[in-house]
Amino acid sequence: MQDQVVGSSPVKVDAKDKATGATKYPGDLRVPGMLYGKLLYSPSAHAKIIGIGLADAWQVPGVRAVLTANDVPGHNGHGVIIPHQPVMARDLVRSVNDVLVAVAAETMAAAEEALRKVKIELVELPAVFDATAAMAEGAPLVHPEGNILSHHKIRRGDMAEGWARAAAVVENTYRTQMVDHAFLQTEAALAEIDDGGILVLHVATQYPHWDRKELSRALGMPEDMIRVVGGSVGGAFGGREDMSLQVQAALLAMHTGRPVKIVCTREESFHAHSKRHAMVMHYRTGATGEGRLTAVEATIIGDTGAYASWGTNVLRKAAVHATGPYIVPNVKVDAYAVYTNNPFAGAMRGFGAAQPAVAYEGQMDEVARVLGLHPFAVRWQNAMTEGCITATGQVLESGVGLRATMEKAGSLVGWDVSKING
Amino acid sequence: MERERICFTLNNSPVEIHCHPGERLVDVLREQLDLTGTKEGCGQGECGACTVLLDGRAVNSCLVLIGQVAERSVLTIEGLAAGGKLDPLQTAFVTEGAVQCGYCTPGMIISAKALLMEKQNPTEAEIKEAIAGNLCRCTGYIKIIKAVQTAASARLEG
Ligand code: FES
Ligand code: FES
Repeated sequence: MQDQVVGSSPVKVDAKDKATGATKYPGDLRVPGMLYGKLLYSPSAHAKIIGIGLADAWQVPGVRAVLTANDVPGHNGHGVIIPHQPVMARDLVRSVNDVLVAVAAETMAAAEEALRKVKIELVELPAVFDATAAMAEGAPLVHPEGNILSHHKIRRGDMAEGWARAAAVVENTYRTQMVDHAFLQTEAALAEIDDGGILVLHVATQYPHWDRKELSRALGMPEDMIRVVGGSVGGAFGGREDMSLQVQAALLAMHTGRPVKIVCTREESFHAHSKRHAMVMHYRTGATGEGRLTAVEATIIGDTGAYASWGTNVLRKAAVHATGPYIVPNVKVDAYAVYTNNPFAGAMRGFGAAQPAVAYEGQMDEVARVLGLHPFAVRWQNAMTEGCITATGQVLESGVGLRATMEKAGSLVGWDVSKING
Repeated sequence: MERERICFTLNNSPVEIHCHPGERLVDVLREQLDLTGTKEGCGQGECGACTVLLDGRAVNSCLVLIGQVAERSVLTIEGLAAGGKLDPLQTAFVTEGAVQCGYCTPGMIISAKALLMEKQNPTEAEIKEAIAGNLCRCTGYIKIIKAVQTAASARLEG
C-alpha cells in the first residue's frame, strides 16, 4: 500500500481487467434462463394514446411478457425532482423519451419481432420544440401546470447606477444546442429475483441508492426487497442520473419469474437518457472606459424538454455562474427552466455552468473590441481574487487561482502578459 | 435460419461453431463464445468498440458476418495476453492512465496492436490515424496516444 498518494500516479484498480477484457459491464452479464427485454419508445413527441394493440405481439413464438402502463403496480413515474416521467405512458406521450411497451422473449430476435407487431394508435397533438416559444401565452402545454418549471433570480447592487457608470454597453444573444452524452456503453440492465425473493438489479448507474428508491416507488415494493448492484459503468457524464431501463427490466423479471436483460441499441440510448440543456442567453454588459465591469443583466432560458429531471438545479447553477469568474458590482439574472416536447434535459458535465461561459466570455471579447482594449487586459482587470464576493454573495476566502492561471495560459499562447496589462 | 458449420481460428486455437452465416461476428463472439471483451457501442461501424483482428488487420466486428471469417484467423482482446502475460500495449494502457471507463479500451488496444504489428516505431500521426476509427468519450485521447508510444518503445528496448 502506497502511503503517499498526492503527487504520485497510482494505477487505477480496475484498469488491468478493463485492458484484458475481463471486466463485466451489465450488458456482458448472462445468467441461466435469461430472457431478452426490449422497449418500444414513442415515435411521436406529443400525442394522445388511443390504443395499444398487443395481441399480435403475444403470438410471436418465444414471447414471455408484453407489458404496458397497466402493469406498473406502484407509482407510474420517476424523476429526481418530480416523479412525473412515466415508466410507461398511459394516455399521453410528451416526448420521444416515453416508453409505450416492454417485452421479454427467449431471443433478441423474438423480442424485436414482438415490438414490430405492437399496434399503436396515436393522435398527434400540437407540440412545442422551442423553449422561448413555450413561455409565450397560448403555447401548447407540456404539463397542465404550465411550461415554466423554475425561475431563479439573482439581484445584486443597483442596476441603474451600473448602467450610468458604463462607458460602453454591449448586448447580445447567445445560443447553445442540445448535446447527448453519448457514453460509449449504452444503457444495460439485468434484473432477477433471487432465492429469497429479493429483486436484484445489475445496472450501470450513477446512483444505486437513488435507483432503489425509484424502483421501490414504481414497483410498490419495500426498499429492503430490492438490491441494486452498480457494476462497471461505461461512461456516464451525468446521463445515468435518471432512470432508464431499471423499472421496466424489474417489471419484466417479476412478470416472467425469469432473469431479464435489456441492452439499448445506440438509437434507443438516445431515447433513454437526458441531454445537455440547450440555452438561449440574452446578455447586456456594461463597462467603464478602462474595461471595468459595471453591470451584467442576463436572461437565460434552458430547454428542459418534457420532464423535470435536474432542470431546476441545472438552471440554478447557470444563474449562479452567469457572471463567470469576474467581479461585477451590479447584477440582475433571471434563469428559467422551460418544458418543451423535446427529449428531456438533465445533468451533463458542468451541470449548467458550461453554457453561460459561451455568453459571458463572448461579452468580454465584445467589451474589449468596443473599447479598443486587449481581451486579456479586460479579463485581468475584472478577475476574481481572494476576498472577492460573487454575485450570489459568496466570499472567496482562499484558493482563487484565476490570475495565476491566466498568466500562465497567456504566456503559453505567446502574449507578453505584463505588457498587455500595462 | 439455416445453420452452418463454420471453422476458423480464434485467439490462436481452432474453433468450430454452428450458426447462420449471416450473424454478426460481434454477436457470435459475445453471445455464443462468451468473449465479452469485445464491446458494441454503435453497431454501425462508427465507434470501434467492437474492433478485432481479422488475419492481422483491425476490423469492426459489428460489420463482419460470421460467414466471412470461415477458415480465417480472429484475435480478440482476450487472446492478446498470451499465456496470461500482458501484451506491452495492455501494460502501457494501465500504467499511462489510458483507461477510464474502459469501454473503448479493448477496441483501442486492438487497433493499436494492428498498427504495431505493421510498424515498430510509429509516429504520433500514424498512431492517431490507426485509432481514428475508435471513439473514446472519457479520456481525450492524449494518454491513449502516450500509451501506444510507451508500448512501442518498450518493445524496441525489450
Ligand atoms: S460497435 Fe462496431 S463500430 Fe461501434
Ligand atoms: S475510457 Fe471511456 S470511452 Fe474511452
